[in-house]
Amino acid sequence: MSRPTLARVRGANNEGLVVLVLVALSVAMTILNPEFLSLNNLFSVVRSSLVPTVLALGVLMVIIAGGIDVSFTAIAIFAAYSTVLWVGQDSVGLVVLLPIACAIGALLGLVNGVVISKLRLPTLIVTLGTSTMFKGVLIAFVGAKYIADLPRAMAGLGNANLLSIASGKEVANLHIFVVPVALLCLLVWWVLSRTMWGRSLYAYGGDPEAARRAGFSVVRAQVLLYTAVGVLAAIGGLMHVTLSRNANPQDLVGSELDIIAAVVLGGASIFGGRGSVLGTVLGVFLIHLIQNSLILAGIPSVWQRTAVGAILLVGVSVQALSAKRSSRKVFAYADEEQVAA
Amino acid sequence: MSISDHQAEHAAPPLEDLNHRTDSATRSLVSRVHLEHGMLRMLVLTVAAFAVFTVLNPSVFLDPLNITNMAVAAPEVGLLAIAVMLAMLTGGIDLSVVAIANGTAITIAGLSAHHPHVGGAGTLLIVVAGFLVGLLGGVINGLLISRVGITPILATLGTMQVFNGLAIVYTGGKTLYGVPAQLTTFGQGTVARVPLLFLVFLLTAVAVAIVLNRTPLGFKLMLQGANGTAARYSGIRPTRVLMATYLMSGALSALAGILIVARNPTASADYGSSYVLLVIVIAILGGTNPSGGFGTVAGVVLATVTLQIVQTGFNIMRLSNYEYAIAQGLILIVTLVIDQMSRRRQATRPRKPSPQEAAQ
Repeated sequence: MSRPTLARVRGANNEGLVVLVLVALSVAMTILNPEFLSLNNLFSVVRSSLVPTVLALGVLMVIIAGGIDVSFTAIAIFAAYSTVLWVGQDSVGLVVLLPIACAIGALLGLVNGVVISKLRLPTLIVTLGTSTMFKGVLIAFVGAKYIADLPRAMAGLGNANLLSIASGKEVANLHIFVVPVALLCLLVWWVLSRTMWGRSLYAYGGDPEAARRAGFSVVRAQVLLYTAVGVLAAIGGLMHVTLSRNANPQDLVGSELDIIAAVVLGGASIFGGRGSVLGTVLGVFLIHLIQNSLILAGIPSVWQRTAVGAILLVGVSVQALSAKRSSRKVFAYADEEQVAA
Repeated sequence: MSISDHQAEHAAPPLEDLNHRTDSATRSLVSRVHLEHGMLRMLVLTVAAFAVFTVLNPSVFLDPLNITNMAVAAPEVGLLAIAVMLAMLTGGIDLSVVAIANGTAITIAGLSAHHPHVGGAGTLLIVVAGFLVGLLGGVINGLLISRVGITPILATLGTMQVFNGLAIVYTGGKTLYGVPAQLTTFGQGTVARVPLLFLVFLLTAVAVAIVLNRTPLGFKLMLQGANGTAARYSGIRPTRVLMATYLMSGALSALAGILIVARNPTASADYGSSYVLLVIVIAILGGTNPSGGFGTVAGVVLATVTLQIVQTGFNIMRLSNYEYAIAQGLILIVTLVIDQMSRRRQATRPRKPSPQEAAQ
């Protein structure tokens, strides 16, 4: 195989590598436990990846812009829980629920955006602070009760399936949410690759000073970014509440790392300027496939956290080492040019 | 420049020399006063926090038992905050400090469960084993950051998860009870009514301050954070400095782990899950610049005491942990904003040329 083809298979952000790992894992798991390949298992992995995918899209945008956000889970549960609490069991449709949640998410995201962009503060530390504040406000002032009775529109969606395929004794169900999640992925892909704002995120993440000199309004782009992440988080939160059929204010917060790990594994660079929707979707799917495999392989669930941490470390080590190699290449070129001169 | 200065310059070089020397002495004095200005802010805050809660509920807050409790609870958090500060000095961050401390605590509790009746030497061995486990965590962080070249945020996010995950595997998610009796005795000991744990904290803080201010390593650490490129061109090897930094932060976290089990003879994987934010808040409030290059141990120690006063005060006022969490977040962001504003003011203020530059 010639070099350019190899590079194309690997993809701009190592997407090919993730696919390769996915395939290798699937083959190994199928040999270990044939149940792995069943439609039922596949659909259940898809179901568990739905909410993380939506949240990961937001994280992807932040990471492309050179930041890191750990408050999105707090925003997600804040928006979803307070919406459910406020609406109660009224028979309002999603037409009302969704805008309320999105508005709350946007507002909280706006807080992040304003603090980060106007004052140029480190994103990790700011979002760590706001995350704790959002969760604290939610539980101290909004509500701490577990809500089992969801608004009717959401309760009905919990079991709505797009596809129900009978295979053998079991019925494999594909949840209806794959449709909105796929649409959101397409939307984010379109925004990132086809709009000026999306390109400005790459520009800012690649080199903030260069982006500023190229004429991008950095403050406006960042405020919009964190607001958008808030909206995505709110949608993810509503989906989470719908899928788990209850609203628990203690949910979601604490799972940030799994999602950041997925995005980083999907080829997004923590230094900014790099990352793709395809890679992120593959990364999320890989993490959930691995968690699913651990269960099917009979490994105790106490190992899950170690496994995710180890995968993250291996993934970023590969990135860091290849970055080191390519930086050496750049220096080699520079030396050659000097010799030539 | 006045005429007399001109004459002095031409007539007597020693006088010029003296002039320069006075100038540099004044400059260093001014810079030191500025440094103490940050400390002054911290001192005022500490006293203010103490005063507020004393006024709100003097009978409970000033109770000697309450004061002792604060002095016993603060050290572990303070050591973790100093560990984070060290990482921040080099422009990094260490998110795994709590996981490392728990690793040490769990090792000590786990070993003493298997060897219930050990003597003094046995206790020492167990404590040393626990310390080494924590140190190993620091070594892993150091290797990943300095050799492999992973950014500190990601490396320590990953190791935090792995260390915490291994702790869950080892404990099975349960709490371990019981540590050697000598350790508990140590945890309850006092010297002149000051808890031993607090003394350990102060002594360690002094040791770290000496390393930072009086040794080449401390100087290199600051320079690495202030300007990594300049540090490299000055012949400082970033790999060694980073390795030493995360080794020290691992050692401090391990020591914090020992204090945790000395104070309270239990250990679990999810102990102190809220500490990650708390120790970062303390480091920032103590005047540490999260982008590297500036921070003082004294500032972090005062910030530790302040936050402990606020926490105890909140408890006395019957406010929940969530309200304390909101306060932490607010303190963090307000401090960041104030520091950033003052830094920006300094940066935009026109710099007066030094006499040497003016002469050129």
